[in-house]
Amino acid sequence: MAEVTLSKVRKSYGAVDIIHGVDLDISDGEFVVLVGPSGCGKSTLLRMIAGLEIITGGDIRIGGRVVNDLDPKDRDIAMVFQNYALYPHMTVGTNMGFSLEHRGASKAQIAERVNWAADILGLSHLLERYPRQLSGGQRQRVAMGRAIVRDPQVFLFDEPLSNLDAKLRVVMRGEIKTLHQKLKTTTIYVTHDQVEAMTMADKIVVLNGGRVEQIGAPLDLYDQPANRFVAGFIGSPAMNFLDGTITSEGFIAPGIVLPLPEAAHGFHGRKAVYGIRPEHFTLHDSGVPAEIVLVEPMGSETQVTMKLGETQVIGVFRERVALLSGATIRVRPDLASLHLFSNNGGQRLI
Amino acid sequence: MKAELSARRQVFLYGLMCVLLIPFVFPTWWMVTSSVKPISDIFAFPPHLVPQNYDWTTYRKVFELQPFVRQYWNSAYIAALVTIGTMIVSSMAGYAFARIRFPFANTIFMIVLLGLLIPAEVTIVPLFQMFLKAGMVNTHWPLILVPIFGAPSVFATFIMRQFFVTLPTELEEAARVDGLGRFTIFRKIALPLAKPALASVAIFTFLHSWNLFLEPIVFLSSADKFTLPQALTQYTDAYGGPMWNIQLAAATLTALPVLMVFIIAQKHFVEGLAHTGLKG
Repeated sequence: MAEVTLSKVRKSYGAVDIIHGVDLDISDGEFVVLVGPSGCGKSTLLRMIAGLEIITGGDIRIGGRVVNDLDPKDRDIAMVFQNYALYPHMTVGTNMGFSLEHRGASKAQIAERVNWAADILGLSHLLERYPRQLSGGQRQRVAMGRAIVRDPQVFLFDEPLSNLDAKLRVVMRGEIKTLHQKLKTTTIYVTHDQVEAMTMADKIVVLNGGRVEQIGAPLDLYDQPANRFVAGFIGSPAMNFLDGTITSEGFIAPGIVLPLPEAAHGFHGRKAVYGIRPEHFTLHDSGVPAEIVLVEPMGSETQVTMKLGETQVIGVFRERVALLSGATIRVRPDLASLHLFSNNGGQRLI
Repeated sequence: MKAELSARRQVFLYGLMCVLLIPFVFPTWWMVTSSVKPISDIFAFPPHLVPQNYDWTTYRKVFELQPFVRQYWNSAYIAALVTIGTMIVSSMAGYAFARIRFPFANTIFMIVLLGLLIPAEVTIVPLFQMFLKAGMVNTHWPLILVPIFGAPSVFATFIMRQFFVTLPTELEEAARVDGLGRFTIFRKIALPLAKPALASVAIFTFLHSWNLFLEPIVFLSSADKFTLPQALTQYTDAYGGPMWNIQLAAATLTALPVLMVFIIAQKHFVEGLAHTGLKG
């Protein structure tokens, strides 16, 4: 186990900058998720930590040691790839023990470690099979087994669940989290799925365009997003945004005036973005009118697409809303959970 | 209706295949049957598809008139060495062109491929001069070295490169993380996965070397060094006329290993071609 530190890490392909000076401290045993949209540089950053990509600038430290110029094999890391990358011509057992064999471990040591990993991951009965004879979930477990068998200082996961179906993804998510709790090895996990990030991480790093937008605990990011990008990326369904102006009467958006909290008074006259999460609307007679566009009953809750003035937003209600398109309901935003962002740059105002 | 169509289609396809078989099967049949006919029967009119009289002494004469066992061995060991050498050179070169980023890799690959466009007849005289200076004329070295570093190896390199390009890079990255260096990745990961391509390279190369004719007649002059295609031309009478039945008996014996290799390895052969995106 080890801490991982990134200082001003940069990556360029020719004149094109991909990673623009990332700083990141990962504590020993922490589970950190790098999340962001496609092309944000999260996989590149992970590959730079692994040593599969050369860094253009900055320092990467693993366990206090600068590893910028070390080969992947000398960084004491293990990586789980998106497409599993199991060696097709080797059995599960050989796949798992291959790195130990190459590092000169004795047969007894290899067998002991492979059996230990296979026990943890429920693979003991599959050790003689070939990867082609396994299901997607089993292959994923073998890839994890290959990583843990060596007892590395850091685990790196590159979108490991993206090839699995939705149901299996939930199961494997739990297994990876349980494995981390058992082994307590520092883990860096890349995903574009914010639900995976929220459910698995001790700490989330939100990346966009090769820059870190925000680093924090999942619920901190959810409750206090640093900017409009993070607010819109974290949470499903996504946060609603309305453009308008902060005034003494409230927030004037196209076709509607929305209530504001006390804290907004210092910004009167300023153009801003009103951010409200779908679950922070409540049905209330004294609320603002909203015209229903679509009602989607989910069982435990109802998702309602509605128009606040001229802006279409989504509300999620515990109550069952049995109304048709075109009807009007009254909704009240929860002012304690309201977000206001600058309309220029999207930084958080309150 | 559908079943009827399908049956008619099958009859048509089988009929077509039977017609297409004629140019491939008939010469082989004619070679084998003529090898046991007296020479007069070979030219009988109308021709006999099945021999009327059998003359098995032709096979004995094959061995009496030439050092045929020695020549058989020459062809076999030369083809084996060329095949092994070409597999080593082409797999390493193909891997390098597919996987190692080095300056002008694609340009160099194109230049190497251009080697395929130069006919062997164009280079044979300079090659002869070269091997003459090296004291290798009337030895087997030219027949071994020219294919390993010449056009057959270029074609094999092309096949291997096309295969290695299709191997997922993540496999190699996983191997790098597992602690393997470039050559070990090639030997322990890439090469074992390249078996189908290697098999087709082996078959192509073996057949090419076994059938090689121009180079032996240029480089070799003593009968005990001849390879089989060259030896076949030596079954002549006192006036230089071919002794057809003996020649065809020798040809039948010569074709046997080729047929065996192809029958045993045809699955790999087809797989290998499929991997290269080429069609046979």
